[in-house]
Amino acid sequence: MIHNYLFLSIILFCLGIVGVIARRNVFTVFMSIELMLNAGILALIAFARLHVHMDGHVLAMMVMAVAAAEAALALAVVILLHKHKSKLDTNVFSLLKG
Amino acid sequence: MTNDIMLLMPLIIVGLGGIIVMIASAYEKFTIEVAAQSTAAILAIAFLTQLSNSISGNVAVFSETFNSILVVSTFSKAAGLIILASGIFTVLSSVAYFKENRFCTSEYYCLVLFAVTGMLMLTMSHELITAFIALEIMSLAVYVLVGYNRDNVISTEAVLKYLVLGAFAGAFLVMGVAFIFGATTSTNFAVIGQYIAANGFMQTPLLIGGSFFVLVALLFKAAAFPFHAWVTDVYDGAPIPVTGFMATALKTAIFAVFANFLVVDDGMHAGWITYLFYISIFTMFVGNLIAIGQQSLKRMLAASGIVHTGYLLIALVAISSQDFSGSVIAFYLAAYAAATLGIFAALSYLSGADEKRKTFDDFKGLAKVRPYSAAAISIFLLSMAGIPPTAGFMGKFYIITSAISAGHVALAVLGIVSSIISMWYYLRLIISMYFHEAEESFSDILPSRLAPTCTFVLVFCVFAISLYPLIV
Repeated sequence: MIHNYLFLSIILFCLGIVGVIARRNVFTVFMSIELMLNAGILALIAFARLHVHMDGHVLAMMVMAVAAAEAALALAVVILLHKHKSKLDTNVFSLLKG
Repeated sequence: MTNDIMLLMPLIIVGLGGIIVMIASAYEKFTIEVAAQSTAAILAIAFLTQLSNSISGNVAVFSETFNSILVVSTFSKAAGLIILASGIFTVLSSVAYFKENRFCTSEYYCLVLFAVTGMLMLTMSHELITAFIALEIMSLAVYVLVGYNRDNVISTEAVLKYLVLGAFAGAFLVMGVAFIFGATTSTNFAVIGQYIAANGFMQTPLLIGGSFFVLVALLFKAAAFPFHAWVTDVYDGAPIPVTGFMATALKTAIFAVFANFLVVDDGMHAGWITYLFYISIFTMFVGNLIAIGQQSLKRMLAASGIVHTGYLLIALVAISSQDFSGSVIAFYLAAYAAATLGIFAALSYLSGADEKRKTFDDFKGLAKVRPYSAAAISIFLLSMAGIPPTAGFMGKFYIITSAISAGHVALAVLGIVSSIISMWYYLRLIISMYFHEAEESFSDILPSRLAPTCTFVLVFCVFAISLYPLIV
């Protein structure tokens, strides 16, 4: 049973990676990152149930708190980008070429 | 018990100081100058406290209360000293920088303090979730610092890139933590080490996957080979003092936790050594290739930061978990930090309003107008290139001898080759400063006392650090 949760978590993680790489909208990219973090949280909870060990739940709470802080900063950056370019397409932001 | 409090004191001072500076910023009387002075004072007090702590072996701070998540050792002490010193020099060079670039508010300085708090915690953390939280405390503050110039589009783009890629790396770290927790039912380094010693590393696929994810995240933050592309852009977009801060303090914190994670057990280190071997080679040579092609000074320094990550990875390949002291890594980080901070302190008062002097050509003939600054910059560049008798030479010497004594002669040879290639772009700036006629008079540089003083103190540090092993 637990294995299904792990598979779901890995699928979510891969979807997140694809979203970050393939999508062009800044919002979607940040949402994909949140998806990856949530996949990590799901895996933590699943392992906590598998081992009957409460530590995983605590760790999940901590990761959630950090994810929320990161989302707040991401939204601030989105507003900043919108002020400069009135667009949220990552293709517009290509002044720096590595 | 009292000793435990003293060991944590630098972290407490910097953390509380950050909060106090943030609250005080709301008052009009608390001007930017006062904020800068109090921040430098807080960091200096924390530095002295850290210096006065005597540590032998690994001390788990408040092991009952904190369940051994924070462990202090001489390595974490040295890394903490480098981080705090970088913080002080960053604050002092920011003061000169913000005389000509007027987008500073007093919150800038409290963000520096928060970033330093995260970094100090990262050097002590011996537990994966603590490391994750410390990493995020540090990163969130640094993201804001990178994008501090809100009116600048390039800076905004840099913070977008850094935030997306940094959060991406953070997600990898969480996934890695979950896998390692699944394998060992713990996230504590000591317990993970015991698990590997009892069950073997290669026999537990979950552990291999988990440590792979953690290493990806750490290599990402350290700007190692497959994950190095963001560095030049982010360093270019960030304000000059912040770039210097990221190049030194952030790298020190990441390498501290990286080394602590790799030495949890021999099995872990042996499992990844081959990959780290190739990653360090590629990091050095790709960094050199990128640096040779750059016209902008900041981008060249960013790319040379990738090369120095490569050298530090050589040191990571060569460490052994039996008698790990991290002295080679700490020494190299100190040598690199002195030179890099020095050059960024010099740039922060030489580059002029809106960072208008950017490229190698913009510094043509600097030696005739500002002979002392040009001489200081040359010393920093020679130290980064590894010319004796500077600190950079001694750092490289220790890394290469440690690689040879660990049996990686090929790696040592490639390190020397890469160091010779790196002369190309370090000497280029020296040539354009000394052997070209001045195209401008550099007369717009505002007189400031702090940043030039910083620069010359760091010149002294470059030589002092190289003499340190002889004295002790």
